[in-house]
Amino acid sequence: MPLRSKEGMHEDVSTVVIGITILVLALAGTWIARPVEESGSRERYAKGWPSPLTATVGLPGGWADSPIEAFRNKSGGWNLLPVALGMGWVALIGGLGTVLGGRSLRAYLPGALVLVLLTVLAYLLAGQKVVKYYNLEYPLWALAVGLLVTNVAATPRWLTPALLGEFFIKTGLVVFGGEVLVSRLLALGLPGLMTSWIVTPIVLTATYLFGVHVLRIESKPLCMTLSADMSVCGVSAAIATGAACRAKKEELSLAIGLSLFFTMIMMIAMPPVIRWMELDPILGGAWIGGTIDATGAVVAAGESLGKEAGEVAATVKMIQNSMIGLIAFAVAVYWAGWVDHDGSGPRVTLAGEAWRRFPTFILGFLAMSLVCSWLHAQGPEQSLWVEGATDGFTKHLRGWLFCTGFVCMGLQTNLRELAPMLLSGRAVVLYVAGQALNLVLTLAMASLTFGWLFRKVVEP
Amino acid sequence: MSAPPTGMILLRCSLAVVAIATIWCGLLPQLLQWAPVSSHVDLMERRGVNPSVMYYTELERLPLRPPWVDQVLILWP
Repeated sequence: MPLRSKEGMHEDVSTVVIGITILVLALAGTWIARPVEESGSRERYAKGWPSPLTATVGLPGGWADSPIEAFRNKSGGWNLLPVALGMGWVALIGGLGTVLGGRSLRAYLPGALVLVLLTVLAYLLAGQKVVKYYNLEYPLWALAVGLLVTNVAATPRWLTPALLGEFFIKTGLVVFGGEVLVSRLLALGLPGLMTSWIVTPIVLTATYLFGVHVLRIESKPLCMTLSADMSVCGVSAAIATGAACRAKKEELSLAIGLSLFFTMIMMIAMPPVIRWMELDPILGGAWIGGTIDATGAVVAAGESLGKEAGEVAATVKMIQNSMIGLIAFAVAVYWAGWVDHDGSGPRVTLAGEAWRRFPTFILGFLAMSLVCSWLHAQGPEQSLWVEGATDGFTKHLRGWLFCTGFVCMGLQTNLRELAPMLLSGRAVVLYVAGQALNLVLTLAMASLTFGWLFRKVVEP
Repeated sequence: MSAPPTGMILLRCSLAVVAIATIWCGLLPQLLQWAPVSSHVDLMERRGVNPSVMYYTELERLPLRPPWVDQVLILWP
């Protein structure tokens, strides 16, 4: 439930204000430090212009034998200061949210210190090589750390003012909007568009309706969050749509857990199945890209089929990634206009009703996506500017914000609410049924587009 | 629900820390030596692939734009 005191700003509004400020800061910093020579050269600045803010937001890295390795950078030096500054950003943003919400900063600070340390622990657990290379992403460990603390020691009362899970996730989403570039939709031309834009909405809608009307799962937000994370792009889609339809912490945790479990299985199983079916690598790559939830797992599975399959798989997934802004917006409109309307009062107009209930931060997320997409499309320099600001700063910061948000969610998750959802088995059935439909439809569409309609064009 | 006694909390915390340290610093590094796991990790490292990436912007490099894209952006079959 959004936090707000009598004098404070509404949580959604404060997330938009802070998120936009962070993006403006990232763009301004990157612009001020822009290179003088060859500023439009993609060869020279492959990941965009260097951002001066990069050094202020480090993350713990990967490690094999000792977690101390996570605090060393690629050149062997210590990475402690950037990581500490990253923790500082999270504490600062949470502090701003607390002040804007009209709550006590003094009550927030002690808990914030522990919260950022738990976030680092989650990153360390996710960074171990076996965990990392089998796609067990940080949200899972952040939730697990929170759940462990609350079940082992019970969440202490002084920690409660710092548990701003929804605030951190919503702010992270607004910042994340800068990475959702609409131009990526055309990365594979018509075959890519047809594979992603026809199949994904069909699977999303059919899975949601199957969950609500056939499996009769009581929670519509759970059905929507599960359907979106399975049909669009895993955890990131679950975060965006879960927030858009106001899914409970327990529902989002369940959706993420199921997605990561099945993603790991599909990442290992799909390449041998594709080889056994003797599918063309491009077709196989498109099938992988359209069905496996998580982006990293898609690339891993595609690359094990070959370089070409890896490229197509990654690009199909990138197109799906680019859809989450519009899908989150559509879900928010549907929820505000239809699902949340209880019929108790007169509905003046659908637009008025939807506007009253609409989650403001989704507008911030979409606005940031559209603004950065527009800027990115203005020319080579502008595209390197946007990519530098997001790659060098905001993507790390929103990672911190999401990870901290998930730790908070774990600390506030009620296992007694989660257990019946899992034990009833209906959520698992919904995921498996939806994924089965996704596998069939994506293979059919990829065969139609990459294997038949555009075959002559895409053949190497 | 009343909070458990401090001694019990300390005992549970100690057990949790020992369990995490055993799994992450003992079992998982051992698992990394097992041939199927090490070959998967080696392949991913060699190709610069990080399977725990959540969004495409976190990839080491963006997928290359295939040469046929410009044709299919214009041509209908």
